[in-house]
Amino acid sequence: MSTVHAPPSPLRGMLPGLLLIAPALLAIALLYVVPLARSVIFAFVDAEGGLTTAHLRTAIELYGRDLIFTVLVTLGSLALISVISIAIAGYLTLGATPWAVTALRWLYRWPLFIPFIVAGQTARSFLARNGLMNGLLIDSGLMDPALAQSLLDWRGLVLTFAWKQVPFVTLLLAGAMASVDRSTIEAARNMGAGRLRCLLQIVLPQVRGTLLVGLILSLVTILSVLSVPLMVIAGNPTMMTAMMAHRVTYYGDYAVANALGLFSYLITAVAAYVYLRMTLSQHKEGVR
Amino acid sequence: MKRSVFLGAAFSAVLSLPAAAQTLNVVTAGDTNMVDYINDYLGPLFEEQNPGVTVRALGTGPGDGGSQALYEKLAAQKDNDVWDVDVGVVHQRMAGQMVTEGLLQSYRDRAATGDLVTTGSAENALGVDVGGYVMPMFQSQIAIAYNPALVPNPPQSYAELVDWAKANPGQFGYNGITGGMAGVGFVFGWMYAFSDMADALRSGPFDAAAAESWGPALASLKEFNSVATITPGNAGTLDAMNRGEIAMGPVWMDMFYTWVADGRLNPDLKLLIPAPGMPGQPMYYVVPEKAAEADLAVKFIELATSPEVQAEGIVRRFNWLPGIDANAVKENLTAEEWSALFTDVSPEVLAERGLAMPQADYFRTILEAYERQVAN
Repeated sequence: MSTVHAPPSPLRGMLPGLLLIAPALLAIALLYVVPLARSVIFAFVDAEGGLTTAHLRTAIELYGRDLIFTVLVTLGSLALISVISIAIAGYLTLGATPWAVTALRWLYRWPLFIPFIVAGQTARSFLARNGLMNGLLIDSGLMDPALAQSLLDWRGLVLTFAWKQVPFVTLLLAGAMASVDRSTIEAARNMGAGRLRCLLQIVLPQVRGTLLVGLILSLVTILSVLSVPLMVIAGNPTMMTAMMAHRVTYYGDYAVANALGLFSYLITAVAAYVYLRMTLSQHKEGVR
Repeated sequence: MKRSVFLGAAFSAVLSLPAAAQTLNVVTAGDTNMVDYINDYLGPLFEEQNPGVTVRALGTGPGDGGSQALYEKLAAQKDNDVWDVDVGVVHQRMAGQMVTEGLLQSYRDRAATGDLVTTGSAENALGVDVGGYVMPMFQSQIAIAYNPALVPNPPQSYAELVDWAKANPGQFGYNGITGGMAGVGFVFGWMYAFSDMADALRSGPFDAAAAESWGPALASLKEFNSVATITPGNAGTLDAMNRGEIAMGPVWMDMFYTWVADGRLNPDLKLLIPAPGMPGQPMYYVVPEKAAEADLAVKFIELATSPEVQAEGIVRRFNWLPGIDANAVKENLTAEEWSALFTDVSPEVLAERGLAMPQADYFRTILEAYERQVAN
């Protein structure tokens, strides 16, 4: 009599691995996926439990402008962040004055340690019409008092977001630039390329991926901040987070707030897709 | 897994420890000053009078959102035998909803200070009958602050204010309806003045079709906004006045007096309530239906609504208007302190122009109409 040996089930082989990642998976499922699914579903469910697009329509009708505003402010902030981060990281990498490089290296990280709400509060008194910035400009004779205007609108938001996120992106970027092969830079310099050209045509293309990652993570952060728009922006249009809070605070209306959240998910989903694709392709290159 | 079970057990053991020594959980909506009031003043006073009792105060955040959070906390444990909130402090709108949904118990008759409650807002909260379920902690009122150096003859009514704002573009500032209740209250006052249905807005009955007749009032508000400055939040209005960016704007009276007392606001600024009036609102002490320490909670509220505490805590320390009968409180204050409450706005004006907030459905409908027709 012969005994038939069943091949070991593939599941059994995976079991220890599954067990090991189970706590992490469970945490993600309970704390992230379930609330996410819930809020997506509740954006489409009416009081009687039926399906409806009424919340979505209300969200677009009342807050369409805020949606567009959010997208524009976010893009504006990201543009400003990239310009400043590239400038700072570029100088840290290519700068020729050692003390200036050291000072800059010291200074640029500070906003990393300031919470968003403090940044918002500071911006609010700094950028107001008769605020600190205009006061300094007027006192030093650089600006005519009659020309003073409040920057507490989209400009204030862009400036505050940039101020908060530039150190983060710069940190990533400067790290990446430092690991770029110096010989490519020196070769370019020897061929007579200026430092700016060297930065834009030699260094930047090599760290493009890192810059994009920094910007994507900043995008997600900016979309989720509530304190800054609440403190800086007066009236409408404003960022979506502020309108979600408004919907919950004054109407107890989670449905429309969820519908607004849906748009945030859509925007971040695009960013997440790009991010995943990039890290995966980098990973593949690394394996190769 | 075992470890998390152990941790959970340890946590619940720690949390349940103080309960043995009687803990009174006070959950309050409102700004940080509300939590300060319980933690710094009322809690210690109650603990001193009741040895062995610990008062634990928890804030749920400013504005109606704070009351909403407390409501959600209670609604979530509706099916439990005992709830973890003994005393709640809430705004009007949520108090009405909580009474309707059976989340609160009627306790005023059991409180010795129940007879001192005389205000109409203790019976009716934005159109909902709440008699017996609530006792007002204090009354707060929205008024217009102005800088007499810039506005020697301030407008005395909404109609005059419109003309003034037109003649002085950018000089009137308010925080719209998304930045706090002072701005919301200003808009409600606007509707009382220009909608031709002020009484119905406050006492109902609600008629969804009524909103269609608000077109002209909202259109004129939109026009008014084009010459007004929109400020970021209640405090934003006061900040802008301090910096001289605006000369007039709606504020909470208690916040105004507190800022002046703290030296944070130009003491020359004054207050007025334009005709026909601006809304104010009380905050209520409530006892949840299944509070663990209901009797202790009533005792706590008795202390909180006693004339002595209303005088010392509510009026003297926090510049609020008393929640109970003002005459009972008056005896515990010096004439000077009493009149300081009414420096700018006399008791007569307050009685005539201090109005209730709109009935709950109109409250919501006015805000939505504003978003649709004024802000967009």
